Amino acid sequence: MSRNAAEIELESTYEIESLIEGSLHQKLSEMGCIPGTEIEKLYTAPGGDPVAYRIDSYILGLRLVEAAQIMVKRAN
Amino acid sequence: MKWNRIALIGNPNCGKSTLFNRLTGLSQKTSNLPGTTVDSFEGKLQNTQITLVDLPGIYSLFTNTDYEKVVVKNLLGIGTQAPEALFIVLDASNLRRNLLLLSQVAELGIPTAGILTMHDTAIRRNIQIDVNQLSEGLGIPIAVINPRKDKDLSPILQLEPKVGRKIQDTPNFEIRLKQSITGNQPEGISAETLLRYNQIDAVIRKVVKRKTKFSKVNTLKIDKILTHPVTGIIAFVLVMLALFQSVFMLAEFPMQGIEWAFSSLRSQVELWLPSATTLGNFVSNGIISGLEGVIIFVPQIFILFFLIGVLEDSGYMVRASFLTDRIMRKLGLNGRSIIPLVGGFACAIPSIMATRNIRNKTERLVTMLIVPLMSCSARLPVYVLLISLVVPVGVFWGPIHAQTVLMTSAYFAGIFVAIIMAFVLKFSLKNKEISEFVLELPTYQAPRLQTVFNNAWIKCKSFLREAGKVIIIISMILWFLSNYGPQTAMKNAENLAEIETLSGNPDSLQIKNSLKLEASYAGHLGKFIEPAIEPLGYDWKTGIALISSFAAREVFVGTMSTLFQSNEEEDVVGIRQKMQAQINPATGLEQYTPAYAVSLILFYAFALQCVSTVAVLNKETGTWKWSIILFFLYGFIAYLSAFIAYQALS
Repeated sequence: MSRNAAEIELESTYEIESLIEGSLHQKLSEMGCIPGTEIEKLYTAPGGDPVAYRIDSYILGLRLVEAAQIMVKRAN
Repeated sequence: MKWNRIALIGNPNCGKSTLFNRLTGLSQKTSNLPGTTVDSFEGKLQNTQITLVDLPGIYSLFTNTDYEKVVVKNLLGIGTQAPEALFIVLDASNLRRNLLLLSQVAELGIPTAGILTMHDTAIRRNIQIDVNQLSEGLGIPIAVINPRKDKDLSPILQLEPKVGRKIQDTPNFEIRLKQSITGNQPEGISAETLLRYNQIDAVIRKVVKRKTKFSKVNTLKIDKILTHPVTGIIAFVLVMLALFQSVFMLAEFPMQGIEWAFSSLRSQVELWLPSATTLGNFVSNGIISGLEGVIIFVPQIFILFFLIGVLEDSGYMVRASFLTDRIMRKLGLNGRSIIPLVGGFACAIPSIMATRNIRNKTERLVTMLIVPLMSCSARLPVYVLLISLVVPVGVFWGPIHAQTVLMTSAYFAGIFVAIIMAFVLKFSLKNKEISEFVLELPTYQAPRLQTVFNNAWIKCKSFLREAGKVIIIISMILWFLSNYGPQTAMKNAENLAEIETLSGNPDSLQIKNSLKLEASYAGHLGKFIEPAIEPLGYDWKTGIALISSFAAREVFVGTMSTLFQSNEEEDVVGIRQKMQAQINPATGLEQYTPAYAVSLILFYAFALQCVSTVAVLNKETGTWKWSIILFFLYGFIAYLSAFIAYQALS
């Protein structure tokens, strides 16, 4: 079952499955959020939003609404 | 090398600016590309005649901000000279995402050489890169350099840029690029990006071996503390307090030095051109005072930019934005707004300039518009004078010192109106672009102080050039207004002063200055606006001080001291005693009451009185519209609140 990146639990590694079509599609793919890339929720700001993710080998801060654009599945 | 002009490009946070600073030293200068507010930097490459152009750090050539446009226009030679070759900086710890930009640039057919940075970070993280094979796979020469630590940068000078291999070959790439800078995004960029990453991953698989446990990375450990709901917020408050406090404390000494230098300059000039003569008066009180009014800001601007630069270079600034984004968003702002707003307590001028990295135009505009409501350091002497006028030292309201309460309230008054303004603007301005955060949290680094120092100095020079012109002109106008007046009135004043001198009054020079100011155009202006400011509790003397404050707020203290015939120009105690003795001719009671002080403090907290701020706002928003609106709007808020305060308290 696929979930979006806003919903995943801290410190477990997922794999990006797809990006939802929308205004952030281009920006997120340029930042390396493309299918097959490892994604891990690292920590959140106070209040739980924004959230810091590991995208492959760097840290990217995303608001929850932005993270919800990224569909993920369990990494194998 | 056979090239004359080489451009330096790369992702943000890859060490590019540090490298540029070290490669060009102090030969660098800024230039503005027509139609943008983005500076691009140029300098001569170490001991050569080659011009090195530093382009803004970007992730991709295709997004629609001023930053990306500047890069594309430079690469294609639109409105500026195109580079003959490129150095592309590649972050070894994050090679995959860095190669996206390279794969785009490679399609332009410009000879390129790669500079691989952060290689030690990569090794620490168990990322092994076969540099030779990478160079072969990309078809360009690559040098491994640590811009922060390496003493010898000569490997870069030995690189021979070559037209690289097109990892990806997109039909009509250049046409698509040209289309994107006109504001119409060409079709299918996302699909193109996807294809690029597939090709990049094919290269990466051959040259990069990785066995990292990311949880062991130091940056992550630091972030766990600095973004923690408790320790993170404590750290944030401490950092901001330290920043704010340092600007005050560290700037005090150089500012005194500048004042001293100018007063000795004046006394030197006095020897050659006595200020009793018109020319001498103009030179020392018109031109030199105008110059002083500009240069006096330099220490604060420099220190603020330096400290912000240290926080930026270390990687903390991005975390401050990360921490505050949620609150800022509610106000229609962005996490990236926090730094300019905090900086505004020191000085609005550099802070407005520091809004440039807010990508959303509306959020940037709102940030710029509310920065002047943060009580800057120029209001401080005014607050100090007025508060000490009505509340003696040693008065306590409950456990707290009364002066502290008033001072803190003055700061909070500004913050309060800023929050309301942000709300109003949030609902009245249509934010056409999406509000986005999407922010890389870079690896923490020890800041390279020399680079930060150079950058701060360049920004100071830019301030001196831009705002300096306006301030000097306004000071000259003010000089004229306060030295000339209707002939009969001026004559009268001189005669009266003459009598005082003949009668041997020791204060005759001060009395003469005061009488002359009253008879001048500025004095007439003060009396002319007196009916308008009377409901606020101000007399014509305050009126003159208000008008002259438009050059810079702290001029208030100086003008009041001239009006009250004080000996020492900046002697707060002397003016205070004379102000306290002033009697209102209409009521026969004290003129300068607590109601007067509160009313005037509120006026200074809100009114947009600083010409330099107006000049910078004008430059950064690219239009006079906002400067004019703010001038009247904040003037109105200032007037209204001062009126209500005075009427309620008296």
